[in-house]
Amino acid sequence: MNVTLILVILLVFLLTGTPISIALGMTVLTFLALFSSFSIDTVDIVSQRLFTGLESFAIMAVPFFVLSGSFLTDGGIARRIIRFALALVGSMRGGLAIAAILACTFFATISGSSPATVVAIGSIMLPAMVRHGYPKRFAVGVITTSGSLGILIPPSIVMIIYAVSTSESAGKLFIAGIVPGLLLAAVLMLVTYVTAARKNIPTAPRASLKEVWLSFKDAFWGLMLVVIVMGGIYGGIFTPTEAAAVSAVYAFIAAVFIYRGLKLKDVPKVLLSAANTSAMLLYIITNAILFSFLLTSEQIPQALSQWVVAQHLSPWMFLVAVNVALLAAGQFMEPSSIILILAPLLVPIAKSLGIDPIHLGVIMTVNMEIGMIHPPVGLNLFVASHIAKMGLTEVSIACLPWVFVLLVYLVLVTYVPAISLWLPGLLY
Amino acid sequence: MRVFNRILDHIEEWLIASFIAAATLVIFAAVVHRQSASFPWLWKYAAKLDFSWAQELCIYLFIWMAKFGAAYGVRTGIHIGVDVLVNAVRPAWKRVLVTVALSLGAFFTAVIAIMGARWVLFIHGTGQISPDLEWPMWVIYLCIPLGSSLMCYRFLQVLVRFLRTGTLPAHTITAAAEEPA
Repeated sequence: MNVTLILVILLVFLLTGTPISIALGMTVLTFLALFSSFSIDTVDIVSQRLFTGLESFAIMAVPFFVLSGSFLTDGGIARRIIRFALALVGSMRGGLAIAAILACTFFATISGSSPATVVAIGSIMLPAMVRHGYPKRFAVGVITTSGSLGILIPPSIVMIIYAVSTSESAGKLFIAGIVPGLLLAAVLMLVTYVTAARKNIPTAPRASLKEVWLSFKDAFWGLMLVVIVMGGIYGGIFTPTEAAAVSAVYAFIAAVFIYRGLKLKDVPKVLLSAANTSAMLLYIITNAILFSFLLTSEQIPQALSQWVVAQHLSPWMFLVAVNVALLAAGQFMEPSSIILILAPLLVPIAKSLGIDPIHLGVIMTVNMEIGMIHPPVGLNLFVASHIAKMGLTEVSIACLPWVFVLLVYLVLVTYVPAISLWLPGLLY
Repeated sequence: MRVFNRILDHIEEWLIASFIAAATLVIFAAVVHRQSASFPWLWKYAAKLDFSWAQELCIYLFIWMAKFGAAYGVRTGIHIGVDVLVNAVRPAWKRVLVTVALSLGAFFTAVIAIMGARWVLFIHGTGQISPDLEWPMWVIYLCIPLGSSLMCYRFLQVLVRFLRTGTLPAHTITAAAEEPA
């Protein structure tokens, strides 16, 4: 069958270690050259897709959010957010760790990336926790895991990629991520609280109301970004892509002129690193679009969908299969590639089984969060191991109990669709 | 040759940083322009400006950034691959795999450059222009052959360096931190 053939070719290319984008593109070329009625027309279609595949304003939210994230990470905004979070919850048992989770939650509402969240919050909170007598493993686990909230709480680069590859509304998906994101933050805090009580971790004195107010005032300009992005999208003032562009400009002003965490002469460096990351993503997107063009022209999504329906799988069983497949894929690929390859295949099946594609989007995002704190390719792990100066294996072990927490949470999100669909149902 | 490479590196970096900055400013300006319609005293002047081309320009800027940035990414080692097998095999085999992987990159980008060039010639013949900016489309499509050729050159550079010294460009962790998703 063609689908097996295509997947085998892809796997062979992937295993050489060539970039995922190249493997996707080579699979398309190889299949077209060897196994299909190859004609000059196909070549023209492929050349055209290389350009027109990207010709969408919705996709351009990705580079804008990457840029805004770069300014936020380097701009001294994280420090203010942490101070505010500490003033709010620092005096609870395990307060530093809970404040770290809260700070990650705040940061996630203005940033769309989880490794960026780990760096921004972790590089300050991790040393602080260790200094105050927290076991290092526990501290690393908390930071690495709560950093993954970055992609579940809107805005989210992963969600934009899902929306683009399945023609769903990014705005609706953002709204759908709010409740699961906040709930996950609450679950993580609860687990931390219980663990801290058991391990008898020291507490800090309660912050005065004045400190709460002062720290809020100081963090205000950073947190305003949530209001601008989410308010702007839902107030109909601008599209998600425009919101992303405005947030990049705002983050630039906040970083350089309000908080002065970034010097004007360093701005080109930030631009270049954001361009580097977003070009890499756009390049994967281009080739993934080519790849799904091949799948569609071979009628594979339809065939797969018919096959699944013929198996009389219940939605329940289908979702088990989806989660297993996604977790497996998360073992060796990073989130954007997984979503770009699998989402266009899974969404038609989900639809025919009566599963809301928005719900599926949230499930996939939570799955990607697990992939990020799980070896061998968890991006958060790499970042955390660098900040903590711990080996990758040790960081991975530190995160293992948290992987388990997230797995339980994944089951919850999968089988209680209302968590994801209640809020968008209210607004749309 | 060394001078040529240094100039090429600079042009590449300068181009992609300018593209992302320009795209951001264009869209920001277009949003501000549209919102100014709610303020009559401002709109008096703003209405004279036309930003209907902004989205199209932003898309073209980002596509250009993507094609040249992908080449820059080969140099910085940001394109991630699956390294399960590569890390599991003996050094001699690893060398073979990495060589194959880089050659695949060079081959693919070379094919795309040729296909892209064919396509540019074809579009040139049709005399197509872009809908809003009314720029000739073949110029805009030039990013495919140009970007892909540059990317091919970068893959070959990395391959030659690997065969000579056994080192690969490693994406530094601080920059990896800015990896989204």
